[in-house]
Amino acid sequence: MLYSMQEAIPYKSHMAATAGGRSRFHNFLKGADNGGGRRLVTNGTKTSVMELVVENAVIVFGRRGCCMCHVVNRLLLGLGVNPAVCEVDEEKEEAVLNELSMVNGGGIQFPAVFVGGKLFGGLDRVMSTHITGELVPILKEAGALWL
Amino acid sequence: MDFPSTQFVPSRAMGTYEPIHQIGMWGENFKSISNPNISASVIVDVANKLENESETTSHEMLVPSSKHDQEASKPFDKIQRRLAQNREAARKSRLRKKAYVQQLENSRLKLIQLEQELERSRQQGLYVGGGLEAGHLGISGAVNSGIAAFEMGYERWMEEQNKQICELRSALNAQISEIELRILVESGMSHYFELFRMKSSVAKADVFYVMSGKWKTSAERFFAWIGGFRPSELLKVLVPQIDPLTDQQILDVCNLKQSCQQAEDALSQGMEKLRETVSATLASGQMGQGTYVPQVAMAMEKLEALVCFVNQADHLRQETLQQMSYILTTRQAARGLLALGEYIHRLQALSNLWANHPREPA
Repeated sequence: MLYSMQEAIPYKSHMAATAGGRSRFHNFLKGADNGGGRRLVTNGTKTSVMELVVENAVIVFGRRGCCMCHVVNRLLLGLGVNPAVCEVDEEKEEAVLNELSMVNGGGIQFPAVFVGGKLFGGLDRVMSTHITGELVPILKEAGALWL
Repeated sequence: MDFPSTQFVPSRAMGTYEPIHQIGMWGENFKSISNPNISASVIVDVANKLENESETTSHEMLVPSSKHDQEASKPFDKIQRRLAQNREAARKSRLRKKAYVQQLENSRLKLIQLEQELERSRQQGLYVGGGLEAGHLGISGAVNSGIAAFEMGYERWMEEQNKQICELRSALNAQISEIELRILVESGMSHYFELFRMKSSVAKADVFYVMSGKWKTSAERFFAWIGGFRPSELLKVLVPQIDPLTDQQILDVCNLKQSCQQAEDALSQGMEKLRETVSATLASGQMGQGTYVPQVAMAMEKLEALVCFVNQADHLRQETLQQMSYILTTRQAARGLLALGEYIHRLQALSNLWANHPREPA
């Protein structure tokens, strides 16, 4: 499992170090468009999508401006996770969904959360596993959370 | 001899006079019944007035004949015919009057019904009258029937709920077996899940109906969060009723409370984002171009997400209830359900009390 070096750095200092500095940092804290998280892009190709899934402990795929995506991100951020967020443009939506379905071997809907390179589920699953207390251990195991 | 304002018109066939004004008046009054703005008292007054007038006119109808009798040359059968016609006219008049009064009575009942509904709605703090939100104007039949079905279903749900609360109460006071108590707990839980299903169904028809909590009493609505109770608040209310808890249970409940809080916060922030998005879409472009611009349709598309929020909120409620039933023993769960039911009853009683307690006139 390949994780980028960015994983190891707590998100606050990471954001401060990236281009844009202060204002982006504030935007980030405010939740901006997607609810926070590290924004990544995909061109919808298999390689691009696979890379994103494999290289991130936690990644959320969702439509641009989707409010449910926002909810997932806020929840994960609130737990101390620094999720990668891939906002998919309308044109690329179908392609990305296809690629993701092939990873999973089945139907996928946005928002889709991948943990440790595997499909975790949608907002429903994130909510129920959080209530039952299963979510945090899973995140820790995938290296998305430290105590 | 004093004839009030009736006018006599010669009848073509018989050479007698008929007070056509009277007939005309019945016709006018039939039309005016369909106007809902006439208050019941006015209608009754008019009816009384007409009744008096018709009685005097029946008398008047005979008077001309007695006048004519002075001319002894009138044949007997002509007089008889005239009398018969008068009787016939009087009979018809009485029938018309009967029908008219019947219609008046129906309108009066309808008016009373409407006034009661209005009063009920005002007491529940609903906005009634004027504006686009009033009643269900302009909403399709499908939405109306979805809402009507839900309201009927909720009434039944409430009846069943009250029954279950009573059963729980007596079961906890009596010495019933663990298994029987478990069955009661499971029924109680399923009953709530049934409500969530009903809400999901009506949310598809009209999500604003669910968001406003119109089927609930005013105090319940005061505490509502995305169309229902806030799980973490509920835990705060119920847990003290379920003492004593083991240390492990206290820890578990504490964690559950925190998880609920986090999930609620995430959903609330999502709602805020939705409001911002809809608002921004609606306000985009220039103002001053009229009301039916593309921005409105675009905003509506964004608003569809509201159904998801309602479903997610109910999903959270369901998961929380489920998790509580795992943490607690059967007896504790039964006490919890009883406490929840009674808390809702108290909220409803509060709403009732509030609606009925005397207040200074505004």
